[in-house]
Amino acid sequence: MDLAFTPEEEQFRQQVRTWVRAHLPADIAHKVHHALRLSRDDQQRWAKILGQKGWLGFGWPTQFGGPGWSAIQKHLFEEECALAGAPRIVPFGPVMVAPVIMAFGTPEQQQRFLPGIASGEVWWSQGYSEPGSGSDLASVKCRAELCGDHYLVNGQKTWTTLGQYGEWIFCLVRTATDCKPQAGISFLLIDMKSPGVSVRPIVLLDGEPEVNEVFFDNVKVPVNNLIGEENKGWTYAKHLLSHERTNIADVNRSKRELERLKRIAKIEGVWDPAVSGPAAGRFRDQIALLEVDVVALEMLVLRVLSAEKSGKNSLDIAGLLKIRGSEIQQRYAELMMLAAGPFALPLIHEAMDAGWQGDLVDGRLVGFVGDALHCAPLASSYFNLRKTTIYGGSNEVQRNIVAQTVLG
Amino acid sequence: MNFDLSEEQVQLQDAVQRWVDKSYTFDHYRATMKHGGFDRANYSQLADLGLCGLLVAEDHGGLGMGPVEAMLVMQELGAGLVLEPLTHTFITSSVLAHFAPPELQARWLPGVASGETLAVLAWQERSSRYRYEKCVAKAAQAQEIYALTATKNIVPAGDQADAFIVPALLDGALALFWVERASAGVQTRGYLTQNGSRAADVTLNQTPATLITRDGLAALELAIDVGLAAACAQGVGLMDKTLRLTADYLNTRKQFGVAIGTFQALRHRMADMKMQLELARSMSYYATLKLGSPAAERRTALARAKVQLGQSMRFVGQQSVQLHGGIGVTDEYIGSHYFKHLTQLELSFGDTLHHLGEVSNRMGETAGVFA
Repeated sequence: MDLAFTPEEEQFRQQVRTWVRAHLPADIAHKVHHALRLSRDDQQRWAKILGQKGWLGFGWPTQFGGPGWSAIQKHLFEEECALAGAPRIVPFGPVMVAPVIMAFGTPEQQQRFLPGIASGEVWWSQGYSEPGSGSDLASVKCRAELCGDHYLVNGQKTWTTLGQYGEWIFCLVRTATDCKPQAGISFLLIDMKSPGVSVRPIVLLDGEPEVNEVFFDNVKVPVNNLIGEENKGWTYAKHLLSHERTNIADVNRSKRELERLKRIAKIEGVWDPAVSGPAAGRFRDQIALLEVDVVALEMLVLRVLSAEKSGKNSLDIAGLLKIRGSEIQQRYAELMMLAAGPFALPLIHEAMDAGWQGDLVDGRLVGFVGDALHCAPLASSYFNLRKTTIYGGSNEVQRNIVAQTVLG
Repeated sequence: MNFDLSEEQVQLQDAVQRWVDKSYTFDHYRATMKHGGFDRANYSQLADLGLCGLLVAEDHGGLGMGPVEAMLVMQELGAGLVLEPLTHTFITSSVLAHFAPPELQARWLPGVASGETLAVLAWQERSSRYRYEKCVAKAAQAQEIYALTATKNIVPAGDQADAFIVPALLDGALALFWVERASAGVQTRGYLTQNGSRAADVTLNQTPATLITRDGLAALELAIDVGLAAACAQGVGLMDKTLRLTADYLNTRKQFGVAIGTFQALRHRMADMKMQLELARSMSYYATLKLGSPAAERRTALARAKVQLGQSMRFVGQQSVQLHGGIGVTDEYIGSHYFKHLTQLELSFGDTLHHLGEVSNRMGETAGVFA
């Protein structure tokens, strides 16, 4: 047992750190560190910078042009990116669909789709959930009928994250009904510019259209956009879900946000009881509790990574990562909002855009509302992050899975 | 960075587990409790396994092993409800090795390693609560000899141990002393504690003592941290077994014609217990692997670990009782004893709120395992 990374791993971390600090645009890092809105252009700029370096597909094996990193190297890369203030890589292309194309796509499909994903040129979206298919994903109804050399797709997907930017979408579609629900699903890649595809944004609690409904109305999809075999899509989808296990905990981002929480607590006078009285002490203890939670989660992540490194099965603890990681994300957002107190309440949309004022003084946007405009995004983040215990398999579904490992 | 065990470590773990299964059955545990909560014969068996000398250098007759091995041993002793205070033997070995002059190490450590000498830390005072740096006990020097006057409470196996490691004020500063129970002016009054283990109040009246170190605070901090790491490991062993007992019960007990383990409300509770167990196990590793770090880093890490363990132990213990229903609140059922052991550990070496205060006071700008 050893807690320290090897000298090689530390050297790797240092290389990544140096490169990320040198190439991450300062305006993007600023937005991330202050929870300001990221535009499509911000996301794409960073994706393309990573793409040029060959690191956008950071989990890819070398045979597909990836760096071929170990689980620990991937973890260190993500940590350095998160701490530097890089936007989270939009996962739908490089992290989600690419591994499926690599594992089950034809060589032609691999040559056709992977380069655009690796370079960050093509924006992918995910078409899984439907109005009637949330946790019960195998019940998807969006139909694809084989008509000669193409499928005719009719139906609806929903909760499509950043689907308004999407150029391609990977979908679970219903290709058979006379069987178990799981046995009639196919995995289809659809060009979102195809006639009959329409996207309608859904405004969320924070006032932002982060997710969308995607409608398919007699959309013609060439047969060679089918991944693998017809009706085997559920297997491929499960492969996708099992592919990334530790990054769903997002512990690196939580470490960064915990530091931000401490900065906010200091500015808002709930950090030092000697200065601000007993209520500050009680608030500080809540941060301390969260700090323990973050360290415990990081240790759990390191245990899963260590098991992967040794080729051991860690399924019983990997299932815990999503639950704990999402709870922690919600908790830091909650504490940031509570730190600001009443100054989290003014709803000033402009203050969530970078460059609106541009005049940050000692980390504060000055102007009005008591110069507390840096508090503007805090309630929005709190509202936004309520999603984390719902998406990616709700935490209640995750608990079913964990219980299965304990009780059978 | 890896959490794999070596072959030797697995063998050690297996050996302790086998001993517990064979020699420390529930009946044996009950008998020990009935006879006062401490059995020297049990302690000698731990010594025969080499465990009393686990952390003692080979030069002094020990095995010269480290914190990871100590953790594995404590996990198994926790899972086996073992009442004898091996934690304190680990404390004694560590404190002497780091703080006692070589000639005193040579005098005492062989006996500690062989199990002949059971020496326990006697630090708790009525007015100190968890703040070990608050100390009323006083030491006076008369030439080479020191005389201690003190009242120490809840000293593990205090009326059975051979010697005590006693913090006392010497010239206004905390120093650590070695006191033999057979010395003049020692009085003990023993009792059972909630988990069935034995403790005693120990009063010293002008009792002759040997100075271990004048660097008493640093030595005591190390002692407490070694105790904390052991308590964390013990807690993990207890919780692991508690979960297995509870899962077995849920899969066997039938109501409404089905095993109650099919009910989602109960399954989710089990998932939450599994979460608490694994967070605790993670933090027990963390505590163990930070024991050798510089004092400030070590102290922060151990405080963080105990905050996690304290919360986990309370949750797992309480929920286990709840999920068992009526049987869970009976003395007859083994599970209820796990609950009491878990509760007792939370109140040992500083409880959750105490250590949360420590974490809070020490909190810096950064966060994480390596910060």
